[in-house]
Amino acid sequence: MHRHPDDYIKPELMACCGSREIKDGDIVIVGTGFPTMAANIAKYTHAPNATLMQESGVIDARPRRPALSVGDPCLNPGAAMIGGLVDIMGMFLQAGWVDVGFLSGSQVDKFGNINTTVIGDYNKPKSRLPGSGGANPIGSLAKKVLIIALHNKKRLAEHVDFITTPGYIDGPGSREKWGLPDNTGPHVIITNKAVMRFDKDTKEAYLATYHPDTSVDEIISLTPWELRVADDVHETEPPREEELKVLREILDPLRMIRIYESRGYV
Amino acid sequence: MGKVVTMKQAIASHVNDEDLVFIGGYICRTPFAAIHEIIRQKKKDLTITRSNAADDFDIMIGAGVVRRFISTFLSLGVYGLGRCYRRSIEKGIPRRIEVEEYTNLSLPMMLLAGSMGMPFVPVKDMLGTDLLNVKAFMGENKYKLIDSPFDGKPTLLVPALNPDVAIIHVQQADEDGNAQIWGIGGDCKVGANAAKKVIVSCERIVDRETIGRDPSRTIVPSFKVVAVVEEPYGAHPGYTPGFYDVDFAFGALYQKASNTVEGFNDFLKEWVFDIEDRTAYIQHYIQSFGYSRFKELQARFGYGYPVSYEY
Repeated sequence: MHRHPDDYIKPELMACCGSREIKDGDIVIVGTGFPTMAANIAKYTHAPNATLMQESGVIDARPRRPALSVGDPCLNPGAAMIGGLVDIMGMFLQAGWVDVGFLSGSQVDKFGNINTTVIGDYNKPKSRLPGSGGANPIGSLAKKVLIIALHNKKRLAEHVDFITTPGYIDGPGSREKWGLPDNTGPHVIITNKAVMRFDKDTKEAYLATYHPDTSVDEIISLTPWELRVADDVHETEPPREEELKVLREILDPLRMIRIYESRGYV
Repeated sequence: MGKVVTMKQAIASHVNDEDLVFIGGYICRTPFAAIHEIIRQKKKDLTITRSNAADDFDIMIGAGVVRRFISTFLSLGVYGLGRCYRRSIEKGIPRRIEVEEYTNLSLPMMLLAGSMGMPFVPVKDMLGTDLLNVKAFMGENKYKLIDSPFDGKPTLLVPALNPDVAIIHVQQADEDGNAQIWGIGGDCKVGANAAKKVIVSCERIVDRETIGRDPSRTIVPSFKVVAVVEEPYGAHPGYTPGFYDVDFAFGALYQKASNTVEGFNDFLKEWVFDIEDRTAYIQHYIQSFGYSRFKELQARFGYGYPVSYEY
């Protein structure tokens, strides 16, 4: 039996949810923040043989402080390999070696499509966002894509304003039609309220587990599409004592993860 | 003629208005000294490119030297969206730049193709997304979607890129331009070799014998290089592995300044236009923030493992 301390914050729970999706031996592309923390929790607990890489060119970094970007100086000393984008995105991701990719987006829709390009009309944008970066190739080519999102009707959408990164695109058969590799695509959406998974047939996200202080009804009311609920829907397992220990004592002693609370992950 | 010149000479001689310019760096080894010089010389209508652009591209866009951007991404990282980039696209300040959207797979592959003399390259991303529905100045040549002649499957082709000039910052180079890096590569090697000519900015110039002690680190051979500029701290506020760290506090300063047009223009005046060169920039930095803060940026020291190439 696992002990579950109750003094955790929501971003810590979300990082643990991400961690639990990683299997021992997985090859994982991470960015910064949540993904790095989630992947490292896995590495220090149930998946010691997972390999982490950053798109900028780094494999198996050994940072002495949390990395603030995928090009952070702390990723350099001690890594197993340092190359460049062509190595990571081409030789490993495009060639089919990457098991898990983490993505987040300003907008995520029911098929797991992600928008990081523009809010509003592309030619007359309300807000110009950064663009794809590595997100589109990761969403196109990683076997399992884990998506981090804020759970409200602005950040989740029936349809995103702009598909920067493909989820299941228009639904069943879309990825196949476009020639994206078999057995790739979104696996889960982890929000500050719930964990949603994708229906095998409809490719729509449905509610799998709800976080401890919410309810199925609240989550349905915060979701802009007609959210289906799993037959076995249940409460998300809170962070385990050993997960929090790794997070707080090894990965993030300054508790920089708190910054996500100010970004609405509460 | 020697290739070792000042940054002023390198940019004046080798970067022309309307050029397609590859600018290396990935927070790691950003050639900021060159970028400031491009702004000081008021170059016009440049097309700029690199994967994962940051404050370096934002400042060029804000300064008005850019007309077009072959892009994958632009943000200030922990400091949020690129303020100048947003103002340009959303409000046309100081001008609306044209953006051709690619990704961190397709753009490096286009540069790889360029570096290899290939006309185009197939990539497996962008399919099924709106990245295929928006085309800017490259028009129908942004990509071609074909059925593979081998297996009939839908296949995306993207064109090779051959920048007029590449500007990279490296740890060390010799006087002929053999340029060596260590640490995160980004698309620096393919971008430099795709270009018709390369300007090398470096932390230190070393002799040819030093290059030969570890030649596997060389990413650009001298015959591609037209100018070598010794520019210590040339990547600040970005970093150079083994030399100095990212200046996060300066990143915050830029974010705050670039929140408004006035703040941004004041920043440009103080840190670019009123500054003669990188030496003056470092002096101004030390005068403004004190030597101890400058000293804190310097990397701790730890040699890698020396290797033997002998037989």
